[in-house]
Amino acid sequence: MAMRYLKNTLIVALLASAHLLAAQSLQQKIDMNIDGLGNAAISISMTLPAQQWQAWNQNFGNNPAALKRDIERSMPAYFLEDFKLEKNDMDRSFTVSLKAPGICQVDKKGRWFLTTDEKDAQLTKLTDHKYMMVQSPQEFGGGMQQTTMVTFPETASDIELDKDPLGKTVFRFEMNEPASALGYMLWVGLALMAAGIGWLLFVLFR
Amino acid sequence: MKKWLPPASLALVGAIVTGISLFPGSGGDLDIEIQKAPFIMPAVHNVYADASALNGKYYLFKARLTNSSGHTLEDVRVKYRIPGYIDWTELGVIGQMFPGQSGVVACYPKFNDDITKKTTESMEKVEIAIDWDGADDNDVVEEEFAFKMMSRNEFVYSNIPSSEISGYADLYDNNDLIPCFVTPSDPVVKYYTQVVQEKVMKGEAASITQKPEDAARFLMSLYEATRMAHMVYSGTKGIPASADDVSSLVQTLRLPREVITGNTGLCIELSCFYASVMSAAGIDPIIYLIPGHAYPGFKMQGQYYAIEATGINGEGLGGISSAEDAFRTGQKQLQEFMQQVQAGHPGYSVVDVHALNQKGVRSMALSDDTFLKEKVDKIAANFEVMRPTEGGQLMAVTPSGGGNGGGNGGGGDGGGGGGGNSDGGSPSSGNRTAGPLSFSVPSGWTVRKQPFPNMPVYTLLAESPDQMANAAVYDVPANSTEEAMGYLKMLFAQYGSDLQYQVSGNRVQGITYSSGGSWVWSGVGGRGPAGIRIVAAGAGDLVAEQYSPQLNSILSSIR
Repeated sequence: MAMRYLKNTLIVALLASAHLLAAQSLQQKIDMNIDGLGNAAISISMTLPAQQWQAWNQNFGNNPAALKRDIERSMPAYFLEDFKLEKNDMDRSFTVSLKAPGICQVDKKGRWFLTTDEKDAQLTKLTDHKYMMVQSPQEFGGGMQQTTMVTFPETASDIELDKDPLGKTVFRFEMNEPASALGYMLWVGLALMAAGIGWLLFVLFR
Repeated sequence: MKKWLPPASLALVGAIVTGISLFPGSGGDLDIEIQKAPFIMPAVHNVYADASALNGKYYLFKARLTNSSGHTLEDVRVKYRIPGYIDWTELGVIGQMFPGQSGVVACYPKFNDDITKKTTESMEKVEIAIDWDGADDNDVVEEEFAFKMMSRNEFVYSNIPSSEISGYADLYDNNDLIPCFVTPSDPVVKYYTQVVQEKVMKGEAASITQKPEDAARFLMSLYEATRMAHMVYSGTKGIPASADDVSSLVQTLRLPREVITGNTGLCIELSCFYASVMSAAGIDPIIYLIPGHAYPGFKMQGQYYAIEATGINGEGLGGISSAEDAFRTGQKQLQEFMQQVQAGHPGYSVVDVHALNQKGVRSMALSDDTFLKEKVDKIAANFEVMRPTEGGQLMAVTPSGGGNGGGNGGGGDGGGGGGGNSDGGSPSSGNRTAGPLSFSVPSGWTVRKQPFPNMPVYTLLAESPDQMANAAVYDVPANSTEEAMGYLKMLFAQYGSDLQYQVSGNRVQGITYSSGGSWVWSGVGGRGPAGIRIVAAGAGDLVAEQYSPQLNSILSSIR
């Protein structure tokens, strides 16, 4: 999954029209939470100055379908779903959330990976399962600071940064198979067997 | 009933459940969801092959796989083929897919270069097969779909489904692919470029000197070469076509080598031809797209230049322009182009060939052709006959400023000001405009009357050489400054710009937002010839501070 595409997409879609880049610095926060199946729940939040807020509403705030379409078009190689937009007109802030299934996959060696699609991505480890990346994209003259937080599930372990053959930064990690229906079936089956055998012994030898 | 039967049955059920959970079998269900491209253009084959080109926008198909079985699938392999074009090719292996897990694969097919020899349209089929370790024949997932393969000359303007078209830009969503038809590496184009450099220009070094005058001379020489060769303007087929739920205009484009040897071209074909030759000569080519037309030019030292390549017309059409006239016309069109871009008109855009090349939009591969080179030699015979009388006209070109183009120029602008000493676009040397609310024009700025004919109230524009700052005059039929600004706000809205302003007495200040950026301005309103005159001086927000001395000078000189 291309984190860079995601970020650029969101910048373009949310800030489109280039109007929104005034001289003042803007802050955008992106949270990417990975689940036990390698899917991501993504949320992007931002607070805008008054003029930018008007322009953003004109383009997207009052037309969430246009926002969804722009994000989808900017990330053509992925399947995105469950878009939600929450606005707080009082604070001139918004949060867009969406899901990106299959953002992490398992390679041939059985290790999970998540690509950033950026060379030498500057990532800071916050906890064993949380990483942060702060950027000021050049596309917008450095007028906006983006903070991206990537959170891996508790079941992930041995998270490390690596490079792919093209030199791009990749997260690699271990993650066990999540509990499945078959796992529950095993325990139910064993319990039934134990109960049945116990009952049988009781009947035969009481 | 025997007493031991119920507990024995319970134990048996437990054993069965345990057995199922431990040995679920190798079979499984894999759900697949496919999204595909409706058209494939052979000329774009190098883009299709590159997953990073334009952020991966041009895939053949993408598939979302979901393991809906109750057990883990190991080494899930996805492969595909296009009979007659691409044999079975593995797209990737997903090491493990747990129950419920999804995986996404996108297909960027690598067609052989000989796909650019395809001269007819056809329907083709993609076959997809997905299997995994332990899968038996019944488990393997097989899918197929059809798509329309165009001929090498056909360009589909949009891949967006009709139901999603929301504006002009969507209708021409594939414009970024035009550089695929710009073929500087084509051996025939390279040969033609060398011949023109030698026989028409008698040597040129624009790519080395990086002087706009040299590049303009190159551009005009190329025009002169086409004129000497009796190249003519002529149309080609452009018809709507449909595939799935996509309906788009499909234009048949003659390739630059076909324009050269066929000695004819449509505006967009001539533009691709010029761009090819300029690129082959190391100049940064630009194609300007406007509604219903296209013309070529170049970018150098941050300035844009253009020529009206269709000025060749032809004996049958009449009105053949000289190279100087074609260049002058191109520059004039470019001025209007920049105004339209600044006003946010979506139909005006540039194709920056080299910038798009860097984003992965690479030209189609074409093989050498001795026959075509011989045709170039025959055409070159005309160059030698006509060169002595025409060549001298190509010297000493002084192009006017081209603006900051790039498809996203400055922003809108503010308001009005005096008539004055405008000269229709020539550089000013410290003049003062005339009439009420006149102001001093900074040295070096150009002044134009009626810069935007579609907006008659926009009566004068004084502009910095890089077009990143200006002073504008609006004569609005209104009774007050507030009313005039309300009128302008509505007018700008029609062109996609949003005017935000505050009026305080006769002072006005605000920001104009457009797709090209934001424009910060201040101005003055007062009585004018049409009612109220607004004079405003402003600049792009990113350079407003840089230009503030000149803008303040303008504002303080208003009287």
